[in-house]
Amino acid sequence: MRPSHILFLILLFFLILDTMLYLHATRLQEALRSDHALQAIAVSGLGLADLCVATEARYTRHPAVSDAIAPFMDHPGAIEHFPSGSFWAAPADNNVR
Amino acid sequence: MLIELEKTTKIYNQGKPNEVTALHEVSLAVAPQTMVCLQGASGSGKSTLLAIIGCVFPPTSGRASIAGKQLSRMPDRFLTIHRRETIGFIFQQFNVLPRLSVLDNITLPLLPLGVSPQERRKRARKLMHQLAISHRENFPAGQISGGEMQRVAIARALINTQPIILADEPTAHLDTRLSMEFMKIMSDLKADGKTIIIASHDPLVSEHPAIDRIIQIKDGRIDVP
Amino acid sequence: MLPKGFEKQLNILDFSLSSLWRRKLKNISIMLVFALVIFLLGSFQMLTGALTQSADAVLRNTPEITIQKMSAGRQEAIPLSYSEKLHSIYGIRAIIPRVWGYYFDESSLANFTIMAMDTNSMPNGNKLDLTLSYGHFPKRTEPGTTVLGRSVQEILGLGTRRIFSLFRPDLSLKSFEVVGLFSDQTDLLTNDLIVMNLDDARDLFAMEPTMATDLCIYVANPTEIETIAKKIAGLLPDTRVLTKSQIQKTYQVVFSWRSGFASICLLAALIAFVILAWDKASGLSPEEKREIGILKILGWETADILAVRFWESTLVSALAFIIGCTAAYMHVAFFDATLLKPVMVGWSVIHPPFKLLPSVKLADLLLIFSFSVLPYLGATVIPAWHCSTVPPDSVIR
Repeated sequence: MRPSHILFLILLFFLILDTMLYLHATRLQEALRSDHALQAIAVSGLGLADLCVATEARYTRHPAVSDAIAPFMDHPGAIEHFPSGSFWAAPADNNVR
Repeated sequence: MLIELEKTTKIYNQGKPNEVTALHEVSLAVAPQTMVCLQGASGSGKSTLLAIIGCVFPPTSGRASIAGKQLSRMPDRFLTIHRRETIGFIFQQFNVLPRLSVLDNITLPLLPLGVSPQERRKRARKLMHQLAISHRENFPAGQISGGEMQRVAIARALINTQPIILADEPTAHLDTRLSMEFMKIMSDLKADGKTIIIASHDPLVSEHPAIDRIIQIKDGRIDVP
Repeated sequence: MLPKGFEKQLNILDFSLSSLWRRKLKNISIMLVFALVIFLLGSFQMLTGALTQSADAVLRNTPEITIQKMSAGRQEAIPLSYSEKLHSIYGIRAIIPRVWGYYFDESSLANFTIMAMDTNSMPNGNKLDLTLSYGHFPKRTEPGTTVLGRSVQEILGLGTRRIFSLFRPDLSLKSFEVVGLFSDQTDLLTNDLIVMNLDDARDLFAMEPTMATDLCIYVANPTEIETIAKKIAGLLPDTRVLTKSQIQKTYQVVFSWRSGFASICLLAALIAFVILAWDKASGLSPEEKREIGILKILGWETADILAVRFWESTLVSALAFIIGCTAAYMHVAFFDATLLKPVMVGWSVIHPPFKLLPSVKLADLLLIFSFSVLPYLGATVIPAWHCSTVPPDSVIR
């Protein structure tokens, strides 16, 4: 068998695998639709503003409604809340004024 | 004449402080179906002469006609195409790619020509049979004996049915028996219609009855055309 | 019978594959390391994209305007009397006070979010019971009742028990009865929640009855949100006024590249890798030079040799890209983004399950492709031009 034929078989394998993953994604999207409907009710019914992901600090748990000072509440220079600071940017000062 | 050189000069690094004239107005003519032995010390211009005959690069000045094509002013691409159709090389140490199989080494010149794997295998097997190395077809070329490597190099030089064979010190690393075997194959090829130029100091080559002529090159000039 | 040009390219592809296979240990290692970098980048992108998409999908239902009182740059409780001042603004449909905050459970080191409001006044407040796997929401007439998020119930170790206690600031205990549990379908939002009556929350936080944590404002005309927000900011200068669009925008930027330390580290790894690739490609070893010289003298054109180099680099990087991205999707979709999760949740004791659809956007894939495959190709193919300087007569000696 030519090496290029083996390459095409490998590519075909990945094509099939990725197609299956795509179909999985489509099914998952359908399944998540009912989740989103319930989540929408929770958000509007409780006035939620944030996803519950990192509960260790105010600004990681509620980045949308934390004041800009929240990441510095421990110390003025404590910019990083390691390791989750790698993911969560400090909230912007988004006061309407 | 199959090979014609007329006042061929080759200057390296022309116009620069390290300018070197490797060949000085060399004139040479080689008829088809002849075997020529080229002799010259290191630095004599022998490699340059081989390179010009081998269509590796054109001369700086003068005429060089190989198999009916003028090399002067030929662009590099056409030179390459002409070389692969006309010249088969057999190197000192044979220069096989050790990790490639014998078959793959032999068919290397055919890959850029778009020859299919089946056709390549067919041509290679025919040559391997003629040179008695069929049993080594799938062996990595780095793991075969010196004599077998020699025959792989010969097969590779013939795979594209090139009319001219250039061999550069082909017996330098071979024992007497293998050297004589090599010359036997060369004389058979000559009888088949090939034109062969062998650069060699080995008396087993220069004194072989199949050699039609010996050309001495010294300081970029040849003694006898 | 294939056309000669196509057969030639297939031959060159075969040669490139054989060439890669001849140094399989080195090439497979490079490909796997490359795939790992792409996997990490891809996982990061797919996970944060999924969270952003989820936020986008559900947070459009967040209150239109939220008012917080600020003091010395920090948020503090807002007097209920502030809502009186807002009656003069035309277009406000409802003002709903909320009490919410954090409760740190010392025994488990978990942070819970306590939330209280009159849910009957909230939009869809009458449908809230649908978000529960059992039970109902606390009624004003049922003091001491709560609804818990699933992690809260788990961390408090309640099991089938319904009664638990929390500490007030003066360390006295306040008892609660669980009357409902949030469904696992709302985990992404409610995992750490304890919802209770307003009175109970004030009692727990020792907050005055005239105070609240914030005010949720609902307007009659959504197009008036910005205008009304500006008016509120003018009327209540010591407050912070957040609009729905600002809250939604948070999740577009909270995982942004510039602020993501993890992504910077990954980018640094990628740059180091590209430098390594450049270094590898720019110097031809004697064996490589010899190989190129042999091919040239056998009639291979410079373009053919460059094609081999191009195919080698393309195959390594393209396969690494495909493997990396496929693995990234599977990592996020099937393995709960296990490798990234600890970094993302940090020291949190509460770990929400990531039932997320990995975000696979063409723009993101192209971004990863541009950051990985293209630099690698540039780093290996451009220096490979050196091979054009290897003279074919180098093998005639």
